[in-house]
Amino acid sequence: MGLPCGTHNYTYAQDMAIMRTKTHWTLLIALFILLFTLPLYSGGYWLSVANLIGITVIAAIGLNILTGYCGQLSIGHAGFIAVGAFTSAVLTNVFELPFLVGLISAGFMAGFVGLLFGIPSLKVKGFYLAIATIAAQFIILWVINHMKITGGFNGIAVPYASIGGLVFDSEASMFYLIMVIVVMCTFFAKNLARTRIGRAFVAIRDNDLAAEVMGITLFYYKLLAFFIGCFLAGIAGSLMAHWIGFMNAEQFSLMESILYIGIIIIGGLGTTLGPILGVIFIRLLQQGMMFVAPTIEGIFPALPAGFATGIAPMLFGLIIILFLILEPRGLAHRWMLFKAAYRLWPFSY
Amino acid sequence: MAEFLQYTVTGVTVGMVYALIGLSFALIWKSSGVANLALGGLVLIFSWFTYGMTVQIGLPYWLGLPLVIIFALAVGWLIERFALRPLIAQPILSLITVTLGIFYFLEGLTVFIWPWMVDALPPPFPPEPLHIGTAVVTQAYVWAAIVSLVLFGLLTLYFKYHKMGIAMRATADDQFAVQACGIPVTRIFSTSWMFACVVAAIAGVLISWIGGLSMGLVETGLKSFSVVILGGLDSFIGCIVAGPIIGLAENVGGGYLTPLTWAGLKGVIPYIIIIIVLFLKPYGLFGEVRIERI
Repeated sequence: MGLPCGTHNYTYAQDMAIMRTKTHWTLLIALFILLFTLPLYSGGYWLSVANLIGITVIAAIGLNILTGYCGQLSIGHAGFIAVGAFTSAVLTNVFELPFLVGLISAGFMAGFVGLLFGIPSLKVKGFYLAIATIAAQFIILWVINHMKITGGFNGIAVPYASIGGLVFDSEASMFYLIMVIVVMCTFFAKNLARTRIGRAFVAIRDNDLAAEVMGITLFYYKLLAFFIGCFLAGIAGSLMAHWIGFMNAEQFSLMESILYIGIIIIGGLGTTLGPILGVIFIRLLQQGMMFVAPTIEGIFPALPAGFATGIAPMLFGLIIILFLILEPRGLAHRWMLFKAAYRLWPFSY
Repeated sequence: MAEFLQYTVTGVTVGMVYALIGLSFALIWKSSGVANLALGGLVLIFSWFTYGMTVQIGLPYWLGLPLVIIFALAVGWLIERFALRPLIAQPILSLITVTLGIFYFLEGLTVFIWPWMVDALPPPFPPEPLHIGTAVVTQAYVWAAIVSLVLFGLLTLYFKYHKMGIAMRATADDQFAVQACGIPVTRIFSTSWMFACVVAAIAGVLISWIGGLSMGLVETGLKSFSVVILGGLDSFIGCIVAGPIIGLAENVGGGYLTPLTWAGLKGVIPYIIIIIVLFLKPYGLFGEVRIERI
């Protein structure tokens, strides 16, 4: 499937390979070279957009493992990201621990909070779980807003990330840090889906009763999905905290959580490529709207004053609805179709 | 003691409005099995639409309110026809997320038209407060409770005796059997959405008379999920019982526990109740326990 004509697998190693042909390797290396030389020929503004995309991709990969593979709908993802962000912020700012400690503890803290709110998933699913995660979002934000140590409504300043003597104080250096983690997470997600755990997740998503009968321990795997999903959210949160340099809980609203759900739906649930495509699509759309909305407002002064702020959420809502109706398998599926067509071109089959 | 009575009265009356919003949810869930997470957005846009009709255009309430109801009917029909119907028989994940998309859209639309986001909705009755024992409440609270109860009574009668109501209950029970009997299931779906939107609109107007218009209306809609979770998703009785319980817990609990914990506890109590209920009795007080087969 998906391999060029004349490529045959003779060994299991060949069959299992992600990068099967020389062309695959060439393209991958070209992509890496392009990615890691981006700061050389890209301006600071687009670099910051790339950083935002990278951080969002990490969180979206986490949500994709939880929702796309394991089928546990979480509408509190921004809340779990907030847990990671504030854990890291408090550890590095108040306790003055090194960045790496903050990063790892952010992941674990978010993971454990995720476990806590994931426990209802053992008894309920679908809508009930969605509500439980919405509740989680509000409770988490309330706690963060009122704890003394997180700075409450005033927010908290976060020092630059640093490893050893290396300080990530510019967009470009932060870009490398984020992209390395993005590549690691993507590699992890791609491989997770092919292991025993990933297959158990998919079985649970498709029919959890049948999965249990086949000998998959729901208790273990559902909570594991919550832990992994929220762990990655925590990592993303920590990076976001050190990247922005200032955190307050307003950045993690419920709308942000819904946006993450929208991202993985637009990208394609349960695929490795999905979250990446979805994030790029949504974040570029946001940037585009920021440019286009004032221009449209200038051309049509009769538009209501809320045009610039209101048009973006309207558009996202509409896009989510349209994708669900017209292309529920998302951009990743479109990409597969394109690849299949390209492989056979110019013949139809 | 005086404050206890005050908390109780406000709690029960606000709880009745929550129950009404919960009812709006149960209407759709019962007939089509769709979890409507867009409730917050619906409550928000209908309240602001009422504001637009009565304050901005200056229509009197006897003319403005029917227009709001017509608008709600139209919105309900549009949502069902263009967002939900293409997704019939899709997995529950799609059905939930499509309502999230609607939620996003409605909130954007509200910001689009009314960007200042905070205002008061003057109620149509005199501002003198009422004295119930030692408690003092504005008339809006009393009206909210009365209207909610009347609406509950009407809907219960409708479901019990009206042909369409009986058909809706039958659809909730078994969609295939209903279709075999010649009842147009799609029409039942769109009717239930239209009903739910009208109920949400009325609840939105009532709650805005009490608390004014703001983005907080979204939270009011979301808090009402605690009503349906506590009462049981498919139970009308559950809504009317759980609504005042949530209102009471929110006001009494918020009133007495806030000094012990942090400010803003009142707003979080419904969510804490959701988590507790899901831990202890996931299908609620009156909900049907689902027994699944492979």
